[in-house]
Amino acid sequence: MSAAPPRLALQGIAHSFGGLHVLRNVGIEVPAGGLVGLIGPNGSGKTTCFNIVSGFLRPRAGRVLLDGSEISACSVQQRSRAGLVRTFQAPKVFERMTVLENLMVGEHKSTRTGVIEAMFGTRRARAELAACRERAERCAERFGLQALLATPAGLLPAGQRRVVELARACIGEPRVLLLDEPSSGLNSEEIEVLRRWIAELNRGGLTVFLVSHDMGLMTVCDTVHVLYFGEVIAAGSLEHVQADARVREAYLGV
Amino acid sequence: MPPLHRSFGLVAMLVLLALWALLPLALPRHFLDMTNFAAILGVGGLGVALLLGQCGIVNIGQAAFYGCGAYASAYCTTTLGWPAAAGIGLGALISAVLAAAIGYPILRLGGFFLALATLAVGSIAGVLFFEWDWLTGGTLGIGGIPKLSLLGWSLNTPERYHYFVWVVLALALWLAHNLVNGRPGLAMRAMRDAAPAAEVMAIDMHRLKTAMFVICAVLGSLAGSLFAHYVSFVSVQSFTVERSMLFLLVPVIAGAHSVGGVVLGALFVALVPEWLSALGDFHQVVFGLVLVLVVTLFPAGLMGLAGGLLERVGRGRSTR
Amino acid sequence: MSFGLLQQAVLSGITNGFVYALIGMGMAVIFKGSRIINAMQGEFAVVGALVTVFTMQALKLPYALAIVAGVLAGALCGVVIELLFVRPMTRRGASEESFLLLTIGLAFALAAAALYFGGRDSHMLPGFGGPGVLELLQATLPVHAAWLMLAAVGVVLALRLFYTRTLLGLAMTAASSDADGATATGIDVGRMRLLTFLLGGGIGSIAGILVTPLISMNYQMGIGLTLKGFAAAILGGLVNPLGSLFGGLALGLLESLAVVGFPSGYRDVVALSLLVVIMIAMPNGLLGRAGRSGG
Repeated sequence: MSAAPPRLALQGIAHSFGGLHVLRNVGIEVPAGGLVGLIGPNGSGKTTCFNIVSGFLRPRAGRVLLDGSEISACSVQQRSRAGLVRTFQAPKVFERMTVLENLMVGEHKSTRTGVIEAMFGTRRARAELAACRERAERCAERFGLQALLATPAGLLPAGQRRVVELARACIGEPRVLLLDEPSSGLNSEEIEVLRRWIAELNRGGLTVFLVSHDMGLMTVCDTVHVLYFGEVIAAGSLEHVQADARVREAYLGV
Repeated sequence: MPPLHRSFGLVAMLVLLALWALLPLALPRHFLDMTNFAAILGVGGLGVALLLGQCGIVNIGQAAFYGCGAYASAYCTTTLGWPAAAGIGLGALISAVLAAAIGYPILRLGGFFLALATLAVGSIAGVLFFEWDWLTGGTLGIGGIPKLSLLGWSLNTPERYHYFVWVVLALALWLAHNLVNGRPGLAMRAMRDAAPAAEVMAIDMHRLKTAMFVICAVLGSLAGSLFAHYVSFVSVQSFTVERSMLFLLVPVIAGAHSVGGVVLGALFVALVPEWLSALGDFHQVVFGLVLVLVVTLFPAGLMGLAGGLLERVGRGRSTR
Repeated sequence: MSFGLLQQAVLSGITNGFVYALIGMGMAVIFKGSRIINAMQGEFAVVGALVTVFTMQALKLPYALAIVAGVLAGALCGVVIELLFVRPMTRRGASEESFLLLTIGLAFALAAAALYFGGRDSHMLPGFGGPGVLELLQATLPVHAAWLMLAAVGVVLALRLFYTRTLLGLAMTAASSDADGATATGIDVGRMRLLTFLLGGGIGSIAGILVTPLISMNYQMGIGLTLKGFAAAILGGLVNPLGSLFGGLALGLLESLAVVGFPSGYRDVVALSLLVVIMIAMPNGLLGRAGRSGG
């Protein structure tokens, strides 16, 4: 067994809002190149867990590790620079900016030239901008967005916004892609397209961690963790988890 | 862009340039005074436009930095006897440092709270300009500020100043254009459109806002210095909240997202009150109403209107 | 520093505090009912005071009726603004900056209108209960100031009763918390917002009318009042009119005490700096979370 640490790990995560314990001793490991899902009924703490991993919330206890290094105290921006990128339940595209510009922003962390250089239009700044635009165009091609490059993102329907958001997250070559309820607001066709995208990105070597309440979407994951009232009650392949007695009790009351 | 459009644009640019160059010969001195003031307003208003159009921040305190630059130039050249460039530089430096120091805490605020904080900054500056009369001369002001001279050529007439100040504005506009169309511009607009997503893209929003606030302050300071060396006399009346409002009006009227529109907005703000002054005190009412109407009915400002018109003309031409 | 000077500072601080509280209350009412922060609240005060002055001097109305006219003028202003500007902008889904620019523009326009109609001079109104003063220990308090405090407390109590006991008040609170839910229960959200601005305008005018006998009123005073009122409102948690009372008093006292012995110009510096510090350090006001939900 290789001694390499998992790409993403949660250890002993616990959180409460006021007196309400939302998460208790949650531990999840996402191996490099893995596709791990977190599923659970509403109120199980999935969103809280997700916000803790992505840096939008500080847990009361526990640690988050990226490739073995602790990132629990890192800000959202710092985590993003380290390669941890998330999407949002309602796709947050930059409405008044074109699709091309959205993708270009996705690469922001590669900016080496500062405000002053940009102001004076130095050769370095212009070259960097051109390279960024080129990478954005290639990314758009990869995701089938070429026709929409000049469209303001706010005018796109939900399904295409989701793709733009996905493309924007991937353009910076993240180490882990975090997907927050990626299927929300999508019809069954769009969900199928999404499923195929996720599978393809993962096949290309991208580590993915996703949160959803949609069992159908989970079929794409190699491991599924089930969260129930803040505790992981089962973990394993989807079939294993679906057959688990405690999961059946939690979901079906059986 | 189809070739017809491009050559049309080029011809228009050349015509405008020629008009600008010939303006001092055609117009009376009084009118030139106002266009020069428009250019000065444009420099200060550009800063506010950048904050409003790119970051969504309403800055009602620009007069504070305007005053800083003006008094720095005035004091350095009269009391200390320094060369003009040193005064301008010092004013810009002080404004930059103050903006960084004040901006760092207040830029954490959002929306109205931030606007109010900028208003507070402007108001406090106004009070201090008045109370610290050992520095500023209070209501008596500082007079006898020397004119600027460029390569031995003294800029002591409105005509000469015209050629100088509009070039300065053009330079500032060029710098702003680069900023807006470069990566900082993208980052700022992302921040304005969806802040959490911008965070996830590793954009350090606070640092960006602070940098822009400093740039705005430096532009305001520069405008103040240009003003001081033009009118040769500064006093507190020029650095009130009303002046901050004028700076804010420039991008609002022109359309905050357009950098070039700042010229239009500045001309409007400088010239229209003058034309309306025939109405006496009522002109201020009209002016205030114009602001309100523009915001309510034309949120994209004059440039937005013009853009919409051009689009319709273009569409009309192409459907053939 | 003499004890007398200190006492005087305390008394004037409390008096000012009540004025700030009244302005802040108007802002809290409008924010509570429409989620809009009204940068022109101080102008309602100017309008109310100037209309009262005008109806007394030019139309020779008795003082009480003139006051009614002033308050109505302010309320009417609020209504007109809601109908003409706020409503179409809300329908258009205007951004927060746009509303901000709108109220700032209106402040500017109203101040200019006050200049045009009222001239540059300051205007005065007679004090309630005559021009006399009360002697308290080593300090004096104008009789009118005592009436002002009573009136302010009266307004606060009336507001509290209105929001918690009357059907209309409850409906207004509901409409601003959840517009869709309120509509579903048959509440006309548009009308509620209109009433909000009516109320806010009226309270603003009352503040203006009450303060004029003490410091007179001219066209420029709107913005200063708005700033101080806003500070009071924030200290009180912004949605809570009762909170504005505490906020206003705290602000008035701090402002007065901080500059005992300094020229009065610095008082504004203190108040404004305090405002900024409060916004940064205590966004929920003195009363904490409770301030945000109360009414």
